[in-house]
Amino acid sequence: MNHFKLTWKNIVRRKSRFFFTISAIAVGIASLVTLLSLGSGLETEIRKQADVLGANLVVTPRGWCAYEQISVLTGETLPEAIPNADVKKIAALEGLTAFPYLTQRTALKNQPVPLLGILPAEMKQFKGWQVGQGRYLLDDANVVIGSGIARQFELKSGDQLTVRGQEFSISGVLQEVGNSDDLAIYMELATVQQLYAVGDKVSFIAVKVDDITRIDQYILDIQNVANVAVTSDKQLLKSVLAIVGSVGSALQLIAAVAILAAFFGIVNTMMTAIYERRREIGILQAIGSKKRTIFSLFLYESAFYGLLGGIVGVVVGFVFSYFAAPYIGQNEFTAFLGSEQSVQLFSAGITLKALLFSILVSALAGVYPARQACKLSPVEAISYE
Amino acid sequence: MNNPIIRTEKLSKIYDSGFRTVALQDVDLQIPKGSLSCIMGPSGHGKSTLLHLIGGLDRPTSGKVFLDDMELTSVDGNRLAEIRSRKIGFVFQFFNLLPVLTALENVQVAMMLAGIGKKEQEERATELLNLVGLEDKLQSKPNQLSGGQRQRVAIARALANDPEILLMDEPSGNLDSRSEEELLEQIAKVNGQGKTVVIVTHSETVAAMAKETFCIRDGELAVD
Ligand SMILES: Nc1ncnc2c1ncn2[C@@H]1O[C@H](COP(=O)(O)OP(=O)(O)O)[C@@H](O)[C@H]1O
Ligand SMILES: [Mg+2]
Repeated sequence: MNHFKLTWKNIVRRKSRFFFTISAIAVGIASLVTLLSLGSGLETEIRKQADVLGANLVVTPRGWCAYEQISVLTGETLPEAIPNADVKKIAALEGLTAFPYLTQRTALKNQPVPLLGILPAEMKQFKGWQVGQGRYLLDDANVVIGSGIARQFELKSGDQLTVRGQEFSISGVLQEVGNSDDLAIYMELATVQQLYAVGDKVSFIAVKVDDITRIDQYILDIQNVANVAVTSDKQLLKSVLAIVGSVGSALQLIAAVAILAAFFGIVNTMMTAIYERRREIGILQAIGSKKRTIFSLFLYESAFYGLLGGIVGVVVGFVFSYFAAPYIGQNEFTAFLGSEQSVQLFSAGITLKALLFSILVSALAGVYPARQACKLSPVEAISYE
Repeated sequence: MNNPIIRTEKLSKIYDSGFRTVALQDVDLQIPKGSLSCIMGPSGHGKSTLLHLIGGLDRPTSGKVFLDDMELTSVDGNRLAEIRSRKIGFVFQFFNLLPVLTALENVQVAMMLAGIGKKEQEERATELLNLVGLEDKLQSKPNQLSGGQRQRVAIARALANDPEILLMDEPSGNLDSRSEEELLEQIAKVNGQGKTVVIVTHSETVAAMAKETFCIRDGELAVD
């Protein structure tokens, strides 16, 4: 007989209470693990996308909020706001190349798909795209598509697709690049402007500079010729991460509530157990148990709940995030998670963190009840009939 | 009475929760080493209170308890727990055993609390249960045992750390006469091994076995 065996026998004596307490902890920890594993995937994916944009500067209309800036990276629909005239002026500046984007949305088989209006030749060179199938032709009747779109909707070159009631044929499919570029339809800029009746405006402009050390000078130059906001890719990444962080915090709040509920569940379970076992506590004291032993026995008990609930929670959390990731990816805020590979099925770090956290929280929940237990007078506990 | 192992001096216990109850008043008692004594008296007159104070399970309002020459009121809670663990064995009227544990494990727990290793726990607990005639009930849970068998497990447990003193509070209080006889046999055996036994009882059969009988009335020691 040792303290752990005794703890275990006490824990499993009430099967349903054992089950429900474990479940409550498991739910809290599972939501935490889901967040951590989706969250870490999210950040990795954002960094990847930010790199892929390949631009040193992003020119946006003045007064865009940070959410709109994220959308530059995700390919969401954006208000068209920068006139062609400004695009021309910026493009004319020395030492930089400008790539205007007009981002819109269309649908394939009732699913939303990003549609990007671009300057075909410039963009191909800028991105270094390779054509995987067909050829690279964008005009008022032809589009190219990313490899992800081709796979998802079973499309190939020569197929037709309809955008705003107008037929286009797919001239080619781009080779896979492993980021959100794979998940869009590309159309000539002017055609998109006409099709969506947005006049002569674009959503934003990606800018590549010749001399990275003079980046501040370029920003001034651009703002001299046009009334726009200019952000460097580094700043953009930073503000995007900040937003994702705040979304993450909101989700963490949900996990916190679940864990708080589990916390009070354990307090309740332990208080009930101590009430039921007050005579046993008296007997233990009569046969030589110190108050501190009684305290630790009950503390082990609640920590044990944390360990078991934590294990169940970690498993459920990883399984859930694995299956949930593709669906969560359809939400604007988390659109980065387009593909499952950005979510880890298992992470030793997250497992360890979650287990330690679970044990810590549960042990903490046991402190007050355990103190009550060791305050019980042995005589009163025994005299009770 | 040249060698008292238990001695009390003006021992008093007053409960004061709501209204005042004088449970024990100025009890001077001496119990010789190796004796078998019994404490008798009407219900509610302070017998259990006396036993608890002697065993260091409760603290007196005033007065002193000496075990050999150690004075219990001057000892802190941890030390008192150690004394209960090694020097004293308790047996109560009912609810002695932890219900989730087997007979063997119940005896082992007492040794666990004294810091004894697993192997020795098992050997010694088995031996003790043999001694009280429960060799075939080692793996039974309390609810699978009769009242008499449970009390015998409690005796085995009380003996776990080889204490000098065995304190029993109405151990045969809810046993039939046959079980009581079996229990008395065990008690006589234990006393025969030199242990000091103090039994609170209403039973004449038990009292007949005792060398010395104390009578508690209204919290005071009555002289016959
Ligand atoms: N924890 C307590 N609080 C208040 N009164 C108590 C408590 N324990 C015992 N008493 C009172 O002390 C008196 C003696 O009790 P007890 O020693 O249990 O008697 P006995 O064992 O002789 O039946 C009784 O009147 C009882 O009601
Ligand atoms: Mg009593």
